[in-house]
Amino acid sequence: MLTPTVDYRRTAHRVPERPHQGLDAAVNWCIGRYQRRGARLTELLHSANLADARGSEFKDLRDHDLQEKLFALRDTFRREPTPDHDTMLAALAAVREAAHRCVGLRAFPVQLAGALALHRGCLAEMATGEGKTLTAGIAGVLAGWTRHPTHIITVNDYLAARDAEWLRPLYTFCGVRVGCVTAQLDAAGRAREYDRDVTYTTSKELLADFLRDRLRLGALRDPSRRLIRRMLQPRNAVADGLVQRGLHTAIVDEADSVLIDEAVTPLIISAPRKNELLREAGIYAAKIANELDSETDYRLNQRFREVELTDEGRQKIARRCDSLPGIWRGEARRTELVRIALTAREFFQRDRQYILADGKVVIVDEFTGRPMPQRTWREGLHQAIEAKEGLEITDPSETIARMSFQRFFRCFHRISGMTGTAWEAAGEFWQIYGLPVVRIPTHRPCIREQWPDRFFAREFDKWNAILEDIEQLHAKRRPILVGTRSVAASEKLAGLLRGRGMEFHLLNASRLAEEATIIAIAGERGRITIATNMAGRGTDIRLGSGVAEIGGLHVIATERHESGRVDRQLFGRAGRQGDPGSAQAFVSNEDELLRRYLPKPLSGALNSGGTTFSATAVRLAQRQAQHLAFKQRKAVLRADAWLDEALSFAGE
Amino acid sequence: MADPTSTFSESWYRVANQRLCLRPGVRVRRQNFRGERWFVLENPFTNEYFRIRPEAYEFVARLDPRRTVEDVWRECLEKHPDDAPGQEAVLQLLSQLYFSNLLQYDQATDATNLFERFKKRQQREWRSRLLNIMFMRFPLLDPDRFLVRTLPVVGKSISWFGAILWLVVVSAGIKVVADNWDAAKQQSQGILTPENLPLLYVGMILIKAIHEFGHAFICRRFGGEVHTMGIMLMIFTPMPYVDASSSWSFRSRRQRILVGAAGMIVELFAAALLAFVWANTGQGTLHSLAYNMMFIASVSTVIFNANPLLRFDGYYILSDLIDIPNLTQRANKHLRHLAERGLFGLTKSESPARTTSEASWLTVFGISSGIYRLFVFAGILILVADQFFLIGIVMAVVCFISWVTVPIFKFIKYLASSPLLDRHRPRAVAVSIALAAVLIGVLQFTPFPSHFRAPGVVQGREWTQVVNETSGSIVEILTPPGQLVRAGQPLVRLESKELELAIAQARAQQVEIETRLRAVVSKDASGIKPLRELLGSVTNRVAKLVTDQNSLTVRARHDGLWIAPELKDARTRWLARGTPMGLLVNPATFQFTATVRQEEAQALFSQKLTGAEIRLHGQAGRTLATKQWEVIPGGQRTLPSPALGWQAGGEMPVAADDKQGVRSAEPFFEVRAALPASEEIALLHGRSGKIRFDQPWEPLLPRWIRSLRQMLQKRYQL
Repeated sequence: MLTPTVDYRRTAHRVPERPHQGLDAAVNWCIGRYQRRGARLTELLHSANLADARGSEFKDLRDHDLQEKLFALRDTFRREPTPDHDTMLAALAAVREAAHRCVGLRAFPVQLAGALALHRGCLAEMATGEGKTLTAGIAGVLAGWTRHPTHIITVNDYLAARDAEWLRPLYTFCGVRVGCVTAQLDAAGRAREYDRDVTYTTSKELLADFLRDRLRLGALRDPSRRLIRRMLQPRNAVADGLVQRGLHTAIVDEADSVLIDEAVTPLIISAPRKNELLREAGIYAAKIANELDSETDYRLNQRFREVELTDEGRQKIARRCDSLPGIWRGEARRTELVRIALTAREFFQRDRQYILADGKVVIVDEFTGRPMPQRTWREGLHQAIEAKEGLEITDPSETIARMSFQRFFRCFHRISGMTGTAWEAAGEFWQIYGLPVVRIPTHRPCIREQWPDRFFAREFDKWNAILEDIEQLHAKRRPILVGTRSVAASEKLAGLLRGRGMEFHLLNASRLAEEATIIAIAGERGRITIATNMAGRGTDIRLGSGVAEIGGLHVIATERHESGRVDRQLFGRAGRQGDPGSAQAFVSNEDELLRRYLPKPLSGALNSGGTTFSATAVRLAQRQAQHLAFKQRKAVLRADAWLDEALSFAGE
Repeated sequence: MADPTSTFSESWYRVANQRLCLRPGVRVRRQNFRGERWFVLENPFTNEYFRIRPEAYEFVARLDPRRTVEDVWRECLEKHPDDAPGQEAVLQLLSQLYFSNLLQYDQATDATNLFERFKKRQQREWRSRLLNIMFMRFPLLDPDRFLVRTLPVVGKSISWFGAILWLVVVSAGIKVVADNWDAAKQQSQGILTPENLPLLYVGMILIKAIHEFGHAFICRRFGGEVHTMGIMLMIFTPMPYVDASSSWSFRSRRQRILVGAAGMIVELFAAALLAFVWANTGQGTLHSLAYNMMFIASVSTVIFNANPLLRFDGYYILSDLIDIPNLTQRANKHLRHLAERGLFGLTKSESPARTTSEASWLTVFGISSGIYRLFVFAGILILVADQFFLIGIVMAVVCFISWVTVPIFKFIKYLASSPLLDRHRPRAVAVSIALAAVLIGVLQFTPFPSHFRAPGVVQGREWTQVVNETSGSIVEILTPPGQLVRAGQPLVRLESKELELAIAQARAQQVEIETRLRAVVSKDASGIKPLRELLGSVTNRVAKLVTDQNSLTVRARHDGLWIAPELKDARTRWLARGTPMGLLVNPATFQFTATVRQEEAQALFSQKLTGAEIRLHGQAGRTLATKQWEVIPGGQRTLPSPALGWQAGGEMPVAADDKQGVRSAEPFFEVRAALPASEEIALLHGRSGKIRFDQPWEPLLPRWIRSLRQMLQKRYQL
């Protein structure tokens, strides 16, 4: 039975506030600082310990009695999603007990603190291997009890299915129906799974379904209008075939990746459509671009990744365009097209930003190093790269709906998340999503040794030093994980190691199939694994037998990343769950980070400076890069908000 | 925002399949500016306007509910591959049309969104009202129907006949004023006296109401609707205003100019009529009112309304004359462009000017109006702070924030975060800091000439009052006043019958005593002595009376100029002994007695003064340099001449209860400076003027801070 209320909730979502500006932003910043205060964590841990102490209340209950208590709690939560402290503690203790019985793991107090933080709408920073899945499960039970649509968002389909399956006994035991939506599921299945109390899925599926539902509804997206329509035309079914039942609560795993790094890439629902205009334009532009020379015809701006045409270049283009059709006669249009082609040539390199697979351009994610087959670059650029590679130019698909994840996740009433690295971006989490970051300590102290960065003036010296380092450590039989930033760099290192006759495993975007097997053995004695940053997030490298005694896993970062978080993710592979381990980064002044983000005079001085100076420079460059990225993301958000307002005559 | 020039846009899908068109009822007018064609879209219901370029209009005009936006765009692109707007530009255009309520669309609008927009708009209006606190507007009524009804009558005057009539009346008015020029000039001196202010204000309201109706009628005559009339608080003075902005969409430039000038035309006409009234009435309220209104309608109109540097009528007229709409904004943008390109090295910065002549207009206008506004705003700030006491300080702070702090803050924000500067930020920041440093350095450290001025009068250094030593009435002026006289020269002869009688009596007494004496000598020697003594005293008395009689002829005691302006009237009047009749002044040595206010006392006593210059009223072009002066230490309260006090039109405040107008309201310091002889300047006793003391050169900033503190201290005892 579709009551008006249920129908209303289906499409009702929070209307996000506009980003703060001016004095408001300043006040908001202060509130954010207050929200992140240390006392918050103390209180969380205290509550978790109290809940831990109450464990005895439930320990000796029979399953049936425990379940009765749980159902009673469920009723309380349904009436009052944020019940009083005492009920909350009882609920935590009870669910923990249930988890112990159903999945065999007993949550540590820090995990309870994490679950509590999630329930309160915080972002919990928890290291890898600290049992984030179980934490999310406990929080998921609490959220599921409320019967508000609850979505637990994982990084990929595999994890969504695995987590849902693993925790299903717990959910069932607690009286919560759990579902899981993955890419293969058909519409009917999706509707069924979304109807469950708690749904495990990925952000892509969730947003895509959201957009598709909206498209289906069209102007009837507005619940009041839908209601009127139903009263006027009772027989004409509206809102048929919707799969979701509204947005309310989201628990986001790897929140920094989803909410920050990938936040501005929009998800696009599109339909392919012939576009001769753009196809031809792409081919011509690539031809013309090939005739232009750097310096004389155009100049590059490394930092902003832009091409500026010189007057000479413009003239050359003009001469070349005389014989070309319509669109090429206008100065502005042709300059734009050629500039895109030049950008494609100069700033987009194969095996760095993209790879070729099956005669197609596949974008490689800059942060994770994973190939993203669905992604395309903005209009024209993708075609320009295809033209440059001499591939057949695909028709740009026609966008029907699009939305950035950033905007999407702002539409939830209650959002919370977990990740290993959040603190660096705490300001952004607060400003964009209103998420205060809480740093949950590890259950066992982390004993990973962070060795100081090593600095080199030239890239060549850096690679040599890395090789020597690998040889030395390899001689001790310690397993080594070497992280590179790009596919190209990983291939280069592979070549160098091969030259020295060393054995290793290579894991990058073009060798995805072997990922699981490579990771499974990466912690064994004497293993050398080269991986792009993809091996960073979420991968749990377990140590082989006897490895802990010789010092555990050693992680080498061959370059510092723009974001300190990504570095920390990589280093975090070593020393998980109180294991021993060590990590070290190698930096050269010729690295992209320093070249792009340091002011020129400073990078000149760097070559003569000492180590402390270099360390400061790296920090400075990273801060600069993060600042710039944040500013861009904020600009996207603002532009989105503006566009929404400006084009509200066209519907959303 | 995305680059508006780009052909393709990611958000295109949102409008691509929409079916849009202009709202029915939207009027389109073509205008030409500097040879360029523009289209003005007007929504008659909301009085909102939107001006677009022909390329954009080409697109807008093709919009049709039967076709999608995508179709229209492609058609444009085929027809004008180069000029047609790109997708990004179309998006912006559509959104602007939407914001101006000019767009018709089939989707129902999001009501919340509309409401948000409405609220935001109200907020914005209030904020701009607060920021423009000196020119706050309160719309009150809609005069349109009144205008339409009365136009058949009034409209007749807007014709060639009206123009000729206007010319005749105004010329006649000018002639009347020219004929009575002296009277007009003299009366103008009293125009700002406190007792005249209420009348002045009444006159101003009347005249400005006529002025505004002038705009309204002419605008209505040419078809522009006039829907708002209200009250503007101009520096807290309520004034009527009318919104004739519908004239901006007139196609004819002449008509636009005429609407702009209408107020002044009407005012001048009124001034001419009032000139007749003024010239033909005697002293009285009507006479004064007519004069005041005439004064406002002519002088203030020319000074304020015709001045294009402030945003009054003259500005709009100029903007139409030189064919540059939105002159101020464009000038500001152009100046910013110049700064960005010249100082910050932004080669990409584009000027809003399309031709060199436009660029030069914008430059000249931008700079001059900027400087002018600076002075006007500073003037208003000081005036407000000075006149309105505690509220005044609050207002001054508000004005200071909106005119000084906010722009500086905005500039810093622009420097810190404008995406335009992304690539040139270090240079932009460096240049800005350097300029600010230079400015502050110049103000703080570069000495500038420093002076202060004090009013004073010329006084002869040697001068005596001519008084009569004996009472009497004037019978003859022996030397006409105004001549140089020598010592002993008789000036005035007095006559005293009483004195003559007294002499006669005394003489008779003398004779009697002598006679008695002679008789006693022969008879009784013992009576001789008393009689002799009596005779002596009587003789003395006679002698004294004779001396007195002689002194009835008043003589010059020393050489000098004989000044007695009031002597003529004193003829035959009885003068008690010691009545001043005039002055005897030594023309060779004059001094300038100046009154220095307390604020300047520190500078005066600092001993650092390097010199002084004296200028006398009426001959301000000539200066008298002097190096010698003496300061009378200790505050004085009696002015050396009433001419220096407020009552007589001078600068020094005088006590209100002092009828003579010489007792100053605050103590002052008297300075006596020696005046060198000069052939060109007639040094006349009592002539007023100003002395300018030269101080050692001093930087400006400390000086300003000092005067600010002094003002605060004086006004608010802070």
